[in-house]
Amino acid sequence: MITTKDLTKTYGGQIALDHLNLNVKAGEIYCLLGANGAGKTTAINLLLGFIEPTSGSAFINQLEVHKNPKATKHFLAYIPENLMLYPSLTAVENLDYFSGIAGKKLSSAALKDVLEESGLQPDAFDKRISTFSKGMRQKVGIAIALAKDAKVLLLDEPTSGLDPQASNEFGIVLQKLKTKGVATLMATHDLFRAKEIGTHVGIMKDGQLKQEFVVEKITLSELEKCYLDTMKYEKESV
Amino acid sequence: MISKTFSKETKELLREGRVLISLIIVILLLAVAVFISARQYQNINEQYKVAQQTERANWDNQGAKNPHSAAHYGTYAFKPKYPLSLLDQGVDKYTGTSIFLEAHARNEAQFSAAADQTGLARFGDLTPDFILLFIIPLLIILLGFNTFTKEREMGTLTLLKSQGISSFRWIWGKWLALFTPIFSITFVLFLIAGLVLSNLKDFGVFNWSTLVTMFLVYMVFYAVFINMVLLISAKAKKSGIALVIGLSVWIIACLVAPKMATNFAQARHPYPTAQEFAEAVQMDKEKGLDGHNPWGEEAQQLEREVLAEYGVDSLSQLPFNFDGYIMQKGEEHQAEVYFKHYNHLKTQYGKQTQVYQTLAVMSPFLPTRFLSMSLANTDYGTHWHFNDAAEKYRIAAQKLLNDHFAENSEYGDWDWKADANYWQELPSFEYEPPSLSSTLSKNTSNVVLLGGWLVLSFGMLFLTVKIK
Repeated sequence: MITTKDLTKTYGGQIALDHLNLNVKAGEIYCLLGANGAGKTTAINLLLGFIEPTSGSAFINQLEVHKNPKATKHFLAYIPENLMLYPSLTAVENLDYFSGIAGKKLSSAALKDVLEESGLQPDAFDKRISTFSKGMRQKVGIAIALAKDAKVLLLDEPTSGLDPQASNEFGIVLQKLKTKGVATLMATHDLFRAKEIGTHVGIMKDGQLKQEFVVEKITLSELEKCYLDTMKYEKESV
Repeated sequence: MISKTFSKETKELLREGRVLISLIIVILLLAVAVFISARQYQNINEQYKVAQQTERANWDNQGAKNPHSAAHYGTYAFKPKYPLSLLDQGVDKYTGTSIFLEAHARNEAQFSAAADQTGLARFGDLTPDFILLFIIPLLIILLGFNTFTKEREMGTLTLLKSQGISSFRWIWGKWLALFTPIFSITFVLFLIAGLVLSNLKDFGVFNWSTLVTMFLVYMVFYAVFINMVLLISAKAKKSGIALVIGLSVWIIACLVAPKMATNFAQARHPYPTAQEFAEAVQMDKEKGLDGHNPWGEEAQQLEREVLAEYGVDSLSQLPFNFDGYIMQKGEEHQAEVYFKHYNHLKTQYGKQTQVYQTLAVMSPFLPTRFLSMSLANTDYGTHWHFNDAAEKYRIAAQKLLNDHFAENSEYGDWDWKADANYWQELPSFEYEPPSLSSTLSKNTSNVVLLGGWLVLSFGMLFLTVKIK
């Protein structure tokens, strides 16, 4: 569902992403770990078609993003680190609008069902987003993805700044989506969450994918060690 | 997607305090302006009716007198207040409301409303056209300056882009959300004006088609302004910058451009001063026949020609009173002089209008202003039209009086008096303003320019604003 082939992005002479090769299949959650500036967000922006690759290709559902920007967006949903919604609208109204512009027509009851599925408390459905915490907003983001019936989910640091409970709830929803066959690519700093909900983990540094693991074949401590070793190597190389 | 965006934008607008406050202020201003204008309109029309009846009664009841004395006694042509002046008072305030019609002279309209006011009049009045032309474009800026910039600033643009939003439908949704409150306010104003005017009796001829045409003109003007505001919002990096640029456009389009156009038109095609004009008229008058001066060269020449034509030796042998005849001939000469000089003024006015129309490419305000005044019959063109009609009536009235004097009295009998009832034979002055088709035909260039602004601004908006 999500594929990149030698995906590269440079800004001037600066390499932001260096020949990234990824393959995330339906029902997989691929967690990209790495320090700030490792190239995680660049990879996601390239998959979203927000920026054009310098070389290489990104594919969503076998369609090349750069050549099919509209069509690929039909299959994907995106939740950034700080999901911003319309503060003067309620959760239902935001969901109605964002699913509407994606071409989905849902009844009021269906919208509420989707919000409930995303883990949002029913008493918050008709409250304005301006009163929502970040965790609640992220749940509305999940609801937008659910309403869109997205096959691909791109998440950029979605649990950053969430309290443990909210982060845990977010993970539960992602697991549900995994069982529905959604292919998820999540950029994160959170090793614990990556190990807990991911099926695959990749460690990035300087725009390159340094290591990849199948989560069930590695323990948290091993993952932590690998990550720290990569970072240490980075420090030593500096 | 258009309806979703429209609905979302409308909810946001209605829930935002500044928008509601702006809308309420504009609606209140409009209500006050309409109330004041409606009262003024009714008062002026009542005054017009009373003045017209009183003046006609004065004319009819002046008693037996010599027709030429009656010609000097004179009468007035009153300029009616037209129904749509309720919405656009145009230049009415400055052009005068009545013209004194007398022998030998073409007088200017006098008793302008501005002359009756103090220096405070310089600040202008709160009228519907002020709201329509200045305040509503400002409201459009206040409502729409952050239409696109807010999406960037709030961070919602990223999510929108990831949802695969279509630029075209997104812009249309936002456009309609901005146009709808403006349309609603203006529609209600025009509807109220239409209902008020169609229920007023005896005051001019109200025509719904003219009102609808005027409404459409304003809708096109607002559509152009909305396009400009949205274009600015789409291109500006921040809401603050968009607001400043929007206000600058408003200042240039609505305040600077009309004044620049006025200065430029006046400098390019100046009117003569009142003194120059009067001197030129007097000089030309003196070059021709003066009905009051039988010893003048032209009078002597006319006398010789008439005697020869009728084969008689003296003026008393003529079958008509030569005094009345020479008065009429003098009147005709003076009418020609006035025609020539007023035609020069009209030519200058025409050239100034052309300059305005050329400069209308600078701002959609100019063609809108001209079309609005023309449709309301409160523009300078209509004033000229009224002036010409009054002059035509004056010439016809003078001929009627002079002919009556010539045909019913004898040469030298200045004591002869027409019957006291005779004055009723002079028809009342009836003035018909230009029709809607005539107004539109005279304003073709303004219609084309406004249409051009509409097409250009829509093109700019939809072709240059793309969401990637």
